[in-house]
Amino acid sequence: MDRQVSQLWTKRALYLFLAFMIMFLHLLPLNTQPGRLPFPDLLMALTFAWVLRRPEYVPIPLIAIVMLLADLLLQRPPGLLAALVVLGSAYLRGAAPGMRDAGFFAEWTTAAVAITAVFVLNRIILAILTVQQAALGPMVIQVVLTIAVYPLIVLLSQSGFGVRRASAVDSAAAGLRS
Amino acid sequence: MAKDRSQRDEYTTPLRRLLLGIVVLCLLGIFLVWRIDSPRVERFRAQVVDTVVPSMDWAMVPVTAVVNLVRDFQSYQRLSEQNQELRSELRLMRAWKEAALQLEQENARLLDLNNVRLDPRLTYITGVVMADSGSPFRQSVLLNVGERDGIMDGWATMDGIGVVGRISGVGPDTARVILMTDASSAIPATIQPSGQTALIAGDNTPSPAVEFLENRELVRPGDRVVTSGDGGVFPGGLLIGQITADPGGRLRVRLSADFERLEFLRVLRFHSAPPIEDSGDIVGPRRPETAIAPAEAGDG
Repeated sequence: MDRQVSQLWTKRALYLFLAFMIMFLHLLPLNTQPGRLPFPDLLMALTFAWVLRRPEYVPIPLIAIVMLLADLLLQRPPGLLAALVVLGSAYLRGAAPGMRDAGFFAEWTTAAVAITAVFVLNRIILAILTVQQAALGPMVIQVVLTIAVYPLIVLLSQSGFGVRRASAVDSAAAGLRS
Repeated sequence: MAKDRSQRDEYTTPLRRLLLGIVVLCLLGIFLVWRIDSPRVERFRAQVVDTVVPSMDWAMVPVTAVVNLVRDFQSYQRLSEQNQELRSELRLMRAWKEAALQLEQENARLLDLNNVRLDPRLTYITGVVMADSGSPFRQSVLLNVGERDGIMDGWATMDGIGVVGRISGVGPDTARVILMTDASSAIPATIQPSGQTALIAGDNTPSPAVEFLENRELVRPGDRVVTSGDGGVFPGGLLIGQITADPGGRLRVRLSADFERLEFLRVLRFHSAPPIEDSGDIVGPRRPETAIAPAEAGDG
């Protein structure tokens, strides 16, 4: 049981570390010329992939802190995208148990819906509050890229970081623990 | 076991909902405060960036250096080709150098004749680019000089040749430069030789657009664009770039500064810049009271 607890905190720390790595990559001053292809939102894809596999590795406050920090560092309106991602992950958290037997394609579709909803809501709210925002074209490309990169992130999380769905044995152990 | 789990859910689900509600409300609250009172939150953002980014610097510098090394290596592959190019460019430059030297001498003579003193207030601080904006929709870079070095909001920033942008957001050790290519950047400029004034407004493309131009007929591609100094925010006479026309016939500016590689930037100390304290007001007719009050004071 101790091993499980320590593993839980290791995975949470791993999530924090990966989030920092992604922000770090974004901040590297490699290309200051505009007009480059927009980058997929790796942080959102990673968060959703983990929430659908092991919700306990990414608790709500952790997601909120990471996304707020990303908002602040990456020059986005602070708080809005963070709130939407937290809501999206709460929705996926609810959908996760039903997803276990549905196969990967169904999961991908659900994640794609969540990602699209987050971006669309973000745009609508910014438009309502008349915040200046980017052109629609690159934004759509970003959404598509984020959805496209999702399976890769899932593959990497499963084989690289060992974030798999809880098997029957694990969930039995979790049941005993509580 | 199933019963066990459902019991657990009975307690954890409402708690989780409450937590979710509180977290989302907090985040939306931050967003609303940002929307209402942007300068204060932006200052907070500058502070956060100031604490987080310099601590990443030890890793950023080598990674950036390695990637640039690889890129340079790729360009070595067409070395002889480049050598040819450089040779012909050098020949051209020699001719220009002669012309420049002559002009410089003439200029010095004329200045001496007219007893002109150049503005001594325009000194500069050089900073190193630490990070970019991190988002494809915003064009800005972070410099490693800040409040400690006396940097203030609104100061102009140049690379060796042309204007790059202006300071917006200063932390103790870092300052953010909004580049001219950012969609929120607009800089008053004069187009020479016709002397037309215009706004150079960025739109997330490599060459910003020329807006509010009075007479298009007088402007031709190839004309020089310099800052006009209107509004007292920027010093006048800094080189921005050259006019080009895009396929749609719209006038744009090809920037002189090398935006491909921004590494060292000069921040010009310019003291006429008024400090920006609050968010902008609605532009409209002035209220009569404020217009009358000074007049009365003057009479009495």
